Amino acid sequence: MPPYLRNAADRFTATVSKFSLEGKIGLCGIALIVMMAVFAPLLSAYPPGKITGGSLEPPGADHPLGTDELGMDIWSQICYGARMSLFIGLAVACIAGLGGGALGILAGYLGGAADQVVMRTVDVLMALPSFPLLVVISAFMGPSVFNVILILVLFSWAKPARIARSQTLSIKNNVYITAARNYGATPFYLLRRHILPEVLPILFVLIISITSYAIMAETGLAFLGLGDPTSKSWGMMLYYATNFRSIYFTPYWQWWLIPPLVALIVLLLCLAFIGRDLEQVLDPRMRQNRGG
Amino acid sequence: MADLEVKDLKCHYNTDTSVVPAVDGISLSLEAGEIVGVIGESGSGKTTLGLSIMRLLDGLASVSGTIVYKGTDITHLPEPEIDRIRWKDIAIVFQNNLDILNPVMTVGKQVVEPLLKHEEIPVREAQARCADLFRTVGLDPVWMDAYPHQLSGGMRQRVLLAMALSCDPKLLILDEVTSALDAFTRKEIRDLLIDLQKKNGYSMILISHDLSFVSSLASRMIVLYAGRVVESGPTVDIINAPRHPYTRGLVHSTPDIFVYKDLWGIPGESASEDGHAGCPFSRRCTQPIEICRTSPPRLQSCGDGREVACHRGGIATLLRADAVHFRYPLPGRKTLHAVNGVDMDVCEGEVLAIVGQTASGKSTLAHILAGILRPESGEVRFMDGAVHSGNNGHRFGGIQIVFQDPFSSTSNRFTVLDAVREPFDINRIGTAAERLDMTREALKLVRLPPTDEFLGKYCGALSGGQRQRVALARAMIMKPRLLIADEITSALDVSTAANVLRLLKGLQNRRGFAMIYISHDLSLTLKIADRIAVMDAGRIIEIGNAHEVMLHPRDDRTKRLIGTRVGHCCHDHKPVGMAGRLQTRVSDCGDE
Ligand SMILES: Nc1ncnc2c1ncn2[C@@H]1O[C@H](COP(=O)(O)OP(=O)(O)OP(=O)(O)O)[C@@H](O)[C@H]1O
Ligand code: SF4
Repeated sequence: MPPYLRNAADRFTATVSKFSLEGKIGLCGIALIVMMAVFAPLLSAYPPGKITGGSLEPPGADHPLGTDELGMDIWSQICYGARMSLFIGLAVACIAGLGGGALGILAGYLGGAADQVVMRTVDVLMALPSFPLLVVISAFMGPSVFNVILILVLFSWAKPARIARSQTLSIKNNVYITAARNYGATPFYLLRRHILPEVLPILFVLIISITSYAIMAETGLAFLGLGDPTSKSWGMMLYYATNFRSIYFTPYWQWWLIPPLVALIVLLLCLAFIGRDLEQVLDPRMRQNRGG
Repeated sequence: MADLEVKDLKCHYNTDTSVVPAVDGISLSLEAGEIVGVIGESGSGKTTLGLSIMRLLDGLASVSGTIVYKGTDITHLPEPEIDRIRWKDIAIVFQNNLDILNPVMTVGKQVVEPLLKHEEIPVREAQARCADLFRTVGLDPVWMDAYPHQLSGGMRQRVLLAMALSCDPKLLILDEVTSALDAFTRKEIRDLLIDLQKKNGYSMILISHDLSFVSSLASRMIVLYAGRVVESGPTVDIINAPRHPYTRGLVHSTPDIFVYKDLWGIPGESASEDGHAGCPFSRRCTQPIEICRTSPPRLQSCGDGREVACHRGGIATLLRADAVHFRYPLPGRKTLHAVNGVDMDVCEGEVLAIVGQTASGKSTLAHILAGILRPESGEVRFMDGAVHSGNNGHRFGGIQIVFQDPFSSTSNRFTVLDAVREPFDINRIGTAAERLDMTREALKLVRLPPTDEFLGKYCGALSGGQRQRVALARAMIMKPRLLIADEITSALDVSTAANVLRLLKGLQNRRGFAMIYISHDLSLTLKIADRIAVMDAGRIIEIGNAHEVMLHPRDDRTKRLIGTRVGHCCHDHKPVGMAGRLQTRVSDCGDE
């Protein structure tokens, strides 16, 4: 196939092949966690919210990771918890990243009043101390998955918006945009062929970092008791475990506290690895190409 | 009353297979003592014209039309009478070919022969006359006993001249008398002709392809193309402001007139053979219209004693700017008058250079002319429509612009293919396969490899020169009628710049589009420009033929601009990569 006919799949493979070892490990880790979330019903023998054994059973043949205070299987909680954590993380990241990105592109492309409005809002949001406000607002709005997502989105769209805007501005100043316009290009064409392809990779990196931020923030909120009690995210598991009186004086923490903690740490590490590698692979390509 | 009147002269050579109309309806008149130049390239029928006036073509070609010499129609005079007029009244000096002179006869004998025949004088007297003639044409009479092959080209030419002068004619027809001679001898012959003309008051018809030679002698010129007159008029006017595209091509490819410019011939082959019905020049013309292919244009007067044969009345105006103003807002309610009342026009097929210092408003003007910026007031018209935002960029035959910065004129992320075919993608022209083909064509045009590998390269991985060529290919793919090149070489190193520039000029020459070349570099500009406009602080302070502006700048600021050039660059120096050319100035016709 001639080299000018590269498609998206090829480009993806090309990008991945430039990843470092950690990056590849990260990808595998994420893939495992996603499988865990998707195939949770197959991987675990019991539903997560059902009492299927004695209280605080240590890991054994029936319950691979033992049970919690109420006799619910920890392993199934971990599997289903992956769903929750990933869902919240990705939902927040996608809404904030893409929505914020779209606002930023619009502001950058249109300029003028639209730009002013968006950028002032972004400035205000960036200046606010996010976590304390997060705590206050979620306490005020009451715990539900929807609210958690909403609040996290509110506090994370500013960065992508800002970056997308500055990218759009710098692209817009290129002569090739003038040239394309002179050839009769519509704004839609410019967006599709010139702006999105440049901004999307950067947004993608941001989306990954927002995912980790959202997962962490959700854990934090849950940890403080501000999570949705009906959702069994890993954060909520930690919350319940740490709220068990004097858990550290008992052996229970070994199978109740450690698994969600390890799962969280692995997920965040994987995301961090991928994020770092993506940044390196996508960014220097542009930098190096510019020097040509 | 005119000495010689030629009316609607036609000479057709009948070959076995076809009829060659070597001369196709030429009229000309010659006053006593006047020198008329007949200019045209090889095969345009110049020699045939000379021969037929001498009635030397009888039997070889079918000749029609009338030739009136001093009131006598010599077209149908019987052979003995025409023989009397030949040599005694009208004499022809042939081109210096070896076969014109008889190789086994001394040159003296050959000059004496017509004397004996026509004047019926004794041999001794004839020989004395011959010696005189030799002295007149600057030859030592001792050479009378030499054989032709013992003489140099210049000397043989002098012998031929002596032969023509032998019977003291009134009218001389000189056919390519200098074309085979070196520059120095050419100048001697020219001076000799001037002397003779002053002393004896000959009328002359100077037939030559050498424009500088003819223009230094003739007061009027006739330009032939494929057996027809395409333009005629006073020499100075024709040289300074040619009206016919062909004449312009001739003038622009004459080194002695455009002293600084590189040589570029008129593209295409002379079209005398292909018998189509339209304007014979249409194949090579930069501005043909529909009618040019179907009917030949007639010679028409266009004022000031000039005539031109062109359906469009000569070189047409392509773009005209009228009182264009543009101001940039500056902080603090101030404005910068970047373009301040510019009037200019660009003709079809010409290269107009706009030079000026940085910040003189050149680029802004370029952007306005291309329709990228909207002028505050004033109007730009291209062909017959007004130029406004990009209405000429998206179609074939419109205006294209190539920008200064090669690194931002194409996207890093685009492959060469994507970048070049972008205009097609935007305007949905052609199928994918057609776009690919056209892209390859365009790349070939700008001398980039049209290979799959190159097409798949990212623009970001190319060098500045390559990227500028990719941008050029993108402009060429739309087949522009006017190309605006905005400082396209300023970001490149000298050698790459020279290559890109030569490429650009070559393209312009072959494709015949008009070009506005914007630059601050006068030396480079002079290599390619036909006309130069000098810009300073938003105004065009001087505009004119490149050599005029260069040799006789009128404005002080132009002088300064030229001064800076000479200051750091000796006048014969050429950038690396530009083919150096030895310039020998034969005559001083440029000073006329
Ligand atoms: N004897 C001939 N038979 C047929 N065609 C001829 C003959 N002589 C000339 N031609 C054709 O007539 C055309 C004009 O020829 P002519 O010799 O007048 O050109 P020219 O302008 O004098 O060129 P040059 O500068 O080379 O002498 C040419 O196409 C030539 O091929
Ligand atoms: S414009 Fe037409 S008539 Fe005039 S020279 Fe060109 S082809 Fe001939």
